[in-house]
Amino acid sequence: MINELLLQFAQWLYAQSYSQMLLAGYYSYNWVEATHVLTLMLSIGSLFIIDFRMLGLILPNVPASTIANRLHKPMIIGFAIMFITGFLLVYAKPVETVQSLWFRIKMILLVCAFINAWIFNARLKAAEGSWDMDPVAPKNLRTGAIISLVLWCGVVTMGRYIPYDWVDCVNVENPTILWAAGCVEQLQAL
Amino acid sequence: MFSLLLNQYRRTLILFLVLALIIILEMVQFRAAIYPGLLPIFEWVRYSSWIGILGTTYGSIYATVEAGHLLSMATIGGVVLATDLRLLGIVFRDVPSETLTRGTHKVFKLALVVAILTGIFCAAGVADKVYYMQVFWFKMLVLAVGSGFVFFIKQPLLNSMPHAQINPWLLRLLAITSILIWFTVAATGRWIGFS
Repeated sequence: MINELLLQFAQWLYAQSYSQMLLAGYYSYNWVEATHVLTLMLSIGSLFIIDFRMLGLILPNVPASTIANRLHKPMIIGFAIMFITGFLLVYAKPVETVQSLWFRIKMILLVCAFINAWIFNARLKAAEGSWDMDPVAPKNLRTGAIISLVLWCGVVTMGRYIPYDWVDCVNVENPTILWAAGCVEQLQAL
Repeated sequence: MFSLLLNQYRRTLILFLVLALIIILEMVQFRAAIYPGLLPIFEWVRYSSWIGILGTTYGSIYATVEAGHLLSMATIGGVVLATDLRLLGIVFRDVPSETLTRGTHKVFKLALVVAILTGIFCAAGVADKVYYMQVFWFKMLVLAVGSGFVFFIKQPLLNSMPHAQINPWLLRLLAITSILIWFTVAATGRWIGFS
């Protein structure tokens, strides 16, 4: 049911002239994609510095809250640009993207990363002042930092897999993979 | 006087000598002469070396290494932006810039090594194509200039004295140059992907 709804939504997006214009314009699509990838340096780069500080791998003599607070704004700007450009990339190829297994895993990892970030921030505020100058963060924050690093590495890796066609609907016969990728027509044909 | 200059600015002088050598070699058409001779090496890397074969045979390994390349570039970007925006007085104003530049340099070096190693693997899989791409050679040039700039000019200068004693315009110039160089390295990487 959810796969059918997603496919219908993707087909509705694809029917819009702006979607096709974005994909057809060689430079427009490439500029959006390049911006999406290059903004990694701002968003993930800032996030990694915060996570590395929690693990004591970087700047152990600078208060962890200072690192987190000062990099918060550039990181949020970076993520905002990534989400806008990411949405545009999906908008340009909606049907293909919605039926990509890697895109779906990426979205699940993104949700997990945001839940982890929310818990991490709450823990960071609760522990504020008690360990700020310690070179390594308390265990619960270190765990949050490791989960964050793993999830974001996963998000980037899945993003990199999307252009490859190993598990595209036309190349797969396994019903579980077809269902997970949302290949509605191929599932009906089985 | 000469020995003092040699000791104090040894790395900078070496870099200038290397640049002068490159200009001289360019003037005597050295690059144009050796360029055709590099093609067999690139073809060997693509079709006969284990990294070329691994990259072209297993797409999943190639894509995973590509992701590693992106993540290392993101780390480089994070460190460069944090330190250079501090030198420009935009972020971390309450943290001494000496602490920031020294404290992040190890991560920068590690990320650069990973970026270069994963970059070699990625280039090996398409070596016969990148050989003909001007943007690939441009990226290699900017990468070499960027590495030389960091290890022979920026870090030695920033480590030589308290930053308060360095002309603020020189610090700003270092920061802007650094951001431009590493942004160009990343952007040319994307350009290779489009070509």
